[in-house]
Amino acid sequence: MLSCKQVAAVASDYLDNNTPLKWQIRLHLLMCANCRRFVRHLKITRDISAKIVGEDASVNTDVIWKNLQAQLKKEKLPDRE
Amino acid sequence: MIMTSVKLTPLARIELCAPPQPNMSSRMNSTTTKIPPDENELITKLMRGDDQAFRQLIAQHHSLMLSIARAIAGDTFADDVVQEAWVSVYKNIASFERRSSLKTWLLTIVSNQAKARLRKESRQVSLDQLDGEVPGSYLDGAHFKADGHWQQPIPQWNTESPEALLEERQLQCCINRTLNLLPPAQKAAFILRDIEQQSFDDICKILTVSATNVRVLVHRARLTLMQVIDRYQETGSC
Repeated sequence: MLSCKQVAAVASDYLDNNTPLKWQIRLHLLMCANCRRFVRHLKITRDISAKIVGEDASVNTDVIWKNLQAQLKKEKLPDRE
Repeated sequence: MIMTSVKLTPLARIELCAPPQPNMSSRMNSTTTKIPPDENELITKLMRGDDQAFRQLIAQHHSLMLSIARAIAGDTFADDVVQEAWVSVYKNIASFERRSSLKTWLLTIVSNQAKARLRKESRQVSLDQLDGEVPGSYLDGAHFKADGHWQQPIPQWNTESPEALLEERQLQCCINRTLNLLPPAQKAAFILRDIEQQSFDDICKILTVSATNVRVLVHRARLTLMQVIDRYQETGSC
């Protein structure tokens, strides 16, 4: 029988259906309420985090574009301005 | 509970895979990829030299490319690496063969650019040095008794509905903030897997880590974010 520590270590593989220990983990989950809650919470975390998209606001497209044009000029490539 | 000995994948150290391919135009897949109509239109505009389309490309992908560059080359070189990657994209977009999605092509370019930069700087940086175990995480031995059982019960959550949790603006801020504080390799692996839905094989190639270690990085990131939700459920703040 797997221990809780072992289940915690491979819980993501279990959720991603990426472990040969699937049945052993299921057997453990049948008997262990703590690990059931742990795996359930991990699944919720994975699912909601995937829906939260952040940080794009920090992209300054103008600056990146200007730097790109400057670099191209430096390399003496024909630019598009 | 009766214990038997089961060999588990260890939370292994992060190993570098085979040396990266210098060919910038290498593809993740050799077969033709089905590209959605919107993306096809964007590619056509880019190949025609449409500046607005290129700006749109930057707005859509710069953050992700920066995360990949940070994970591979570190903070010091990441901005330069992405800048160089955009120059390469600009020069080579006319010959883009649509054998992969545009995103996969961009990620391959930034990944190769970052690896090339590391070689140029003669630095052999293992992701071990960029990443690490977080003390107090769920994988910390302190959470378990000697027999492998939980030391404390797993905390209950007041709300387990994903829809309800997604309504919580404060929680979204906490998750975003924590995501940005994750070690670079964890953050990149998490974004590529859980947000961008890339395959483990592709992530392995992009980050140059073994598939096992990609899974470890993603798992660690998820556990850290889970603890953010634990704390939020208990205190109502980050």
